[in-house]
Amino acid sequence: MKLKKGLTRTFMYAIEIFVIVISAFPILWVIMSAFKTNGEILTNPLALPTSITLDTFAYLFEAYNFPLYFLNSLLAAGVSTVVSLLFYSMGAYVIAKFKFPGRQLLYILFTITLLVPSHSKTQPIFSLVMQLGLYDSIWGVTFVYLSMGMAMSIFILKAGFMAVPKTLDDAAIVDGASFLRVFWRINLPLAKNALTTAGVLMFLNNWNEYYFASLLTVSDSQRTLPIALAFFTSEFSYNYTQLFSALTVVILPGILLYAVAQEKVQVSVATAGIKG
Amino acid sequence: MNAIRRRWALRPRAGRLERANYKWIYLFLLPTVIIFVLFYAVPIVQVFVTSFTRWDGFTDPEFNGLRNYINMFTNSAFLQSLKNLFLWCLVAAVFHVGFGTLVAFVLFYRPRGWKLTRAVFMIPNVISAAAWAMIYRFIFNNDFGVLNTIIRFFDPDFNVQWFYQSPWAFWAVTLTWLFYAVIVTLVVLGDLMNIPSELGEAARLDGATGWQFIRHIQLPLCRGAIGTSVIVSLTARIAMYEQISLTTAGGPGNDTMSLSILLVNGILDYRYGYANAVGVVMFLIGLVILFVVNRLFRMDETDY
Repeated sequence: MKLKKGLTRTFMYAIEIFVIVISAFPILWVIMSAFKTNGEILTNPLALPTSITLDTFAYLFEAYNFPLYFLNSLLAAGVSTVVSLLFYSMGAYVIAKFKFPGRQLLYILFTITLLVPSHSKTQPIFSLVMQLGLYDSIWGVTFVYLSMGMAMSIFILKAGFMAVPKTLDDAAIVDGASFLRVFWRINLPLAKNALTTAGVLMFLNNWNEYYFASLLTVSDSQRTLPIALAFFTSEFSYNYTQLFSALTVVILPGILLYAVAQEKVQVSVATAGIKG
Repeated sequence: MNAIRRRWALRPRAGRLERANYKWIYLFLLPTVIIFVLFYAVPIVQVFVTSFTRWDGFTDPEFNGLRNYINMFTNSAFLQSLKNLFLWCLVAAVFHVGFGTLVAFVLFYRPRGWKLTRAVFMIPNVISAAAWAMIYRFIFNNDFGVLNTIIRFFDPDFNVQWFYQSPWAFWAVTLTWLFYAVIVTLVVLGDLMNIPSELGEAARLDGATGWQFIRHIQLPLCRGAIGTSVIVSLTARIAMYEQISLTTAGGPGNDTMSLSILLVNGILDYRYGYANAVGVVMFLIGLVILFVVNRLFRMDETDY
């Protein structure tokens, strides 16, 4: 019995170590390699860097449009998240709190979009962006990102608003608060948790999005970080130090955001059961 | 009288207050409805309709019946991508979901470091799939990749270009996602924690061993979570793009070809009708997966 218990314990630790190694090691290796010279990377890929310098990073930011890619990513992910969060909370709010004809139908329609693989709608979305004259513009990418995560956000936000007690709304209405005020001053602040959950998920998805961004942009000035990264491989091809540095710059913001909002991200993934 | 009552039952009863708010309610719904129409309703109809046409995006689409579908099903790249998708789905359903579930069970018993493990496991999921694909390209690199460096400790002459050689390429692409099952883990862990603790006590009183408890109580009770995980990870296989486009681009030959790559190639070649036919196939496969998994795991039944 004791032996069996010991074996189970060992097995559990082995699984834990395996998970940590496969998840953390690739990233640590990339960051470590960014500080090595090309020769060091090629001769001894697993060795630690001999000196720590930020020269390559400085070079990347000077010679390439890295700050611009960064801003593009921030713009596309940030603006689309804020705007769609507002739109979807308006929609989710009335679905959660009011009875009106078509309520159930709309809720089903909005959430059923989860089942549509977004790649299958590529051509119509591509053509829509073309028609609006937003092709090869970061605004076109931002526009498309508005639609992403609709089902998931409506789902999370509806639950969030339903948890806000209706008596609070009624009390405010008795005090003469308008429809807008009840939404903005009472429900939005109280549904803060649902809002952050949906917001964090949308931001991460859009920050990391590659497929539509790669199809909808061509010029250098409109690239987001993931797109720029893909172009780098062909451009630097054999300068591995620069490649690893570029990778580091691309992955670090996401990891930092996760480090700050760790619990939020985990809880949201677990409740939604969906990502990407 | 009955007719009147029935008419009232059909529409939700709206209070005076709500009717006064209709203006606001529909105004609040408007943005979401517009997004739904622009990005979901119209595109889906368009994809279905134009999949029966020849269309280059400049001139008007021209009806050509089942031509696109016939072309598709006689194209070896398409057939290979169906085969790949099937194999990847199988691997995902068994090993990806299996591994995620295993980790969930391990974490459920809270061994030392379980919180750290859970937190670190999430990291590959918060960085861009494009970056992750690049990282794996380096890991599998023959000259300075981690994998071959380690193998060369044992066999100094070892040389394999994982992403460029058949049959390794298929498995190299598989390895970029195989073990990264944190979503499965979190979803299953959530369900495990929801199992009433009295069930565990009752089982122990009845003399059930740990394994019996897992096998007959816990696993059946989190089949909903496992079913959800299977759906999520299979649909992720349909949508898989970066992991292929940025590593093998579908090669060598058609070894790692996928529907997403074919669809993008169709658009870039201005064969919109064809691309949309591929889109329809993706859409239908998605529906079939959802339906079958739902049935298989009896997900619409509740247990307690």
